[in-house]
Amino acid sequence: MSIKIRMRGKIKGGIAEVKALIKHPMESGARMNKKTGKPYPAKYINTVIVAVNGKTEIDAQWSGSVSANPYMGVKVKASKGDKVTVTVADNTGGTGTKSIKLK
Amino acid sequence: MKRRSFLKGTLATGAAAVAVNAGLLTPSTVLAADWNKKAFGAKKTSAALDSMYGSSSTAKSGDIKLKAPAIAENGAVTPITVDASKMSGVESISILAAKNPTPLVCEYSFAASAVGYVSTRIKMAKTQNVVAVVKAGGKLYQAEQEVKVTIGGCGG
Repeated sequence: MSIKIRMRGKIKGGIAEVKALIKHPMESGARMNKKTGKPYPAKYINTVIVAVNGKTEIDAQWSGSVSANPYMGVKVKASKGDKVTVTVADNTGGTGTKSIKLK
Repeated sequence: MKRRSFLKGTLATGAAAVAVNAGLLTPSTVLAADWNKKAFGAKKTSAALDSMYGSSSTAKSGDIKLKAPAIAENGAVTPITVDASKMSGVESISILAAKNPTPLVCEYSFAASAVGYVSTRIKMAKTQNVVAVVKAGGKLYQAEQEVKVTIGGCGG
């Protein structure tokens, strides 16, 4: 199942503020299941890439200490009509991608 | 090392396949990411910085604006904003929570045309300093702020 991403972008003075909300449990692997006494297996997004018109602008690495259902706000230089893409991948092989056109 | 190549492999097939299918990215851009297992597994801030940047000596900078709440009611969701857009040549921004079991929370690498600005939400185990480390022009700068946490956000 692919990871769901919601995204919004707003241009102000040649710089686009891109906000993304990603639906993901972000399980760090340290939280204990009190019933079984075993930790919940780690499942978190470890790679996030923000690209403008296919060119990578920001390349992020995350750990399990990013909150569940992560929010990410970044700024990139862009102009109207540019395509901003966010691609994420987690440690279990799950991926997700979402693009928006800036207006 | 095995795990990293495994991760790389899954990324290559997973993310790249999705991206290529959608016609969005070339596989090489996806492969550019190589998750730094050593830095994220480090138990100390200095060790994490050493593995990430090859150095842990940082200088304080007033140009980094670190926005964090003075009191976080819920440590599982602490909003943090790092604004280093006043600095030139920002290459990377890391956010660390010094007393978390593994301090390094996230690291963002920027291309030359990106703006040094990151806003995110992180988990915090207890009351501690949030540290933002910015790499600009080959040097490390940092800013920190204490956040009081009433309910911890790392398991329990």
